[in-house]
Amino acid sequence: MPELDRKIEEATDYLRQRWQGTPRAGIILGTGMGGLVKSIEQQQATPYQSVPHFPGSTSVGHEGRLIFGRLNQVPVIAMQGRFHLYEGYTTQQVTLPVRVMKSLGIETLIVSNAAGGMNPRFSTGDIMVIEDHVNFMWKYPSAHLPAHRTLAGFRKPGRLYDQRLRDSALEIARAGALVLQQGVYVGLPGPSYETRAEYRFLRHIGDVVGMSTIPEVTAAVQCGIRVLGFSTITNMCLPDAISGTTADEVAAIADQVEPRLSYLVTRVLQRNN
Amino acid sequence: MLALHGQIEEAVTKIKSHWDHPLDAGIILGTGLGSLAEQIEVQATIEYDEVPHFPKSTSESHRGRLVCGQLEGLSVIAMEGRVHHYEGHPLKRVTLPVRVMKSLGAGLLVVSNAVGGLNPYYRCGDIMVIEDHINLMGDNPLIGINDDRLGPRFPDMCQPYDFKLIQAALEISRQKNIVAHQGVLVAVTGPCLETRAEYRFLKNIGADVVGMSTVPEVIVAAHCGLRVVGFSIITDMCLPDALEPVEIDKILAVAGEAEPKLRTLVQEVLAREGEHGAPTRQKLE
Repeated sequence: MPELDRKIEEATDYLRQRWQGTPRAGIILGTGMGGLVKSIEQQQATPYQSVPHFPGSTSVGHEGRLIFGRLNQVPVIAMQGRFHLYEGYTTQQVTLPVRVMKSLGIETLIVSNAAGGMNPRFSTGDIMVIEDHVNFMWKYPSAHLPAHRTLAGFRKPGRLYDQRLRDSALEIARAGALVLQQGVYVGLPGPSYETRAEYRFLRHIGDVVGMSTIPEVTAAVQCGIRVLGFSTITNMCLPDAISGTTADEVAAIADQVEPRLSYLVTRVLQRNN
Repeated sequence: MLALHGQIEEAVTKIKSHWDHPLDAGIILGTGLGSLAEQIEVQATIEYDEVPHFPKSTSESHRGRLVCGQLEGLSVIAMEGRVHHYEGHPLKRVTLPVRVMKSLGAGLLVVSNAVGGLNPYYRCGDIMVIEDHINLMGDNPLIGINDDRLGPRFPDMCQPYDFKLIQAALEISRQKNIVAHQGVLVAVTGPCLETRAEYRFLKNIGADVVGMSTVPEVIVAAHCGLRVVGFSIITDMCLPDALEPVEIDKILAVAGEAEPKLRTLVQEVLAREGEHGAPTRQKLE
């Protein structure tokens, strides 16, 4: 795939010209997680629009820039705002930033998202560490890739979401007396929220449901990056006691949760750098 | 999504040049509800070809024109002939007529379709009032940059089919001695029918009937704020352990037999709406 390689190279060159140093970890900030950015020191920001081949981000609650800096001494690159399939982007566009971050040198990727909780033991405002996912987005980034970039490692246990990073997150949460659930993320294309009948079905296959993360994680694992994922439960999807959901409510809950999630992300990176 | 606004305006202008009435309800006539159009006091008919950006129907049992007029005291437009995803039309085009009806003032959308029955308690020729749906089409008509003038980025789907209208339809069915169930529609793209293994799966995930349409239109209706009532005619039973090959003639025959019942239900539901002084109509800006 020389076309994809060329895009990665041009975006990487552009960013290297602006930034000194090598990021160790990438962070994809989901809905309402933008606040973590405040903890990044010596930051330099580049809007997505100015990076070659990056699309612009349009979703509510997403700003759309790459931030380079230090999070508790660890050099990181953070994506403030991400690209979604429901915005009409292809999986290749959605995952390009991950491949560029790899090319810039990251070894670890932390992704976060806002998700609807289907597991009735969860509560609004909980954080869940993603143990595994079910791809119901009807799209696979690997479809574009030649054989040498396919997913030979995918069946290895603990390969998709790194076991050590997950254990580390759970330990940090316990030590900090934070509720941290663990479970399966189901990704759907959206953008409409699910019906009650869909929640009844999806509850059988996962704990939370969202519209992002899976393409990026799939691409990251392809490139050999260690991945850790967090879902913020911004609303509960209980089909027999359902209440409507608005994007504003989701963003408000995500804001409340953000300090706890920032704490987890910062500590995990510090410990596993 | 950003091109839609202009397309809707052009289509609306064209329709208004033929028939300029504030609309109460839009009706999508699926397989087996075609004759409802004959009950309409017709004031205008418009071929889909004449309306800018409207898709062209290629199905055998669908004609492809808008019938505009009065039905049960309401101003209605019936879509005679719907277009399907499996014909190769993108979902944005399939659902454009729904947005056009909204823009013409409609507050209510009536949808109907022919489906396969998964629930073993159903019988061929029964009617199901759609209570909820599962979208397994692998696509969504709202994908793309959202136009906030048309609706929210993330429309809520916790009640896409109006509960009051479901209750009204069921009540009418009891009064008229018509068998009507209440259940869940699962939509797949088609056009091949499902395998036995797929029927087992679809039943397990909570669906009562399976079809190849309607869900995209209802998602768009939810996006633009239309109340929806939906009816399915069970034209064949999909019982994986006693599956018979499907013949399209048989399906059309069953749909034809069920047609008067469905027509009665739809007309009575609309009549009740009409009695309440056409509360369905949107305030035109």
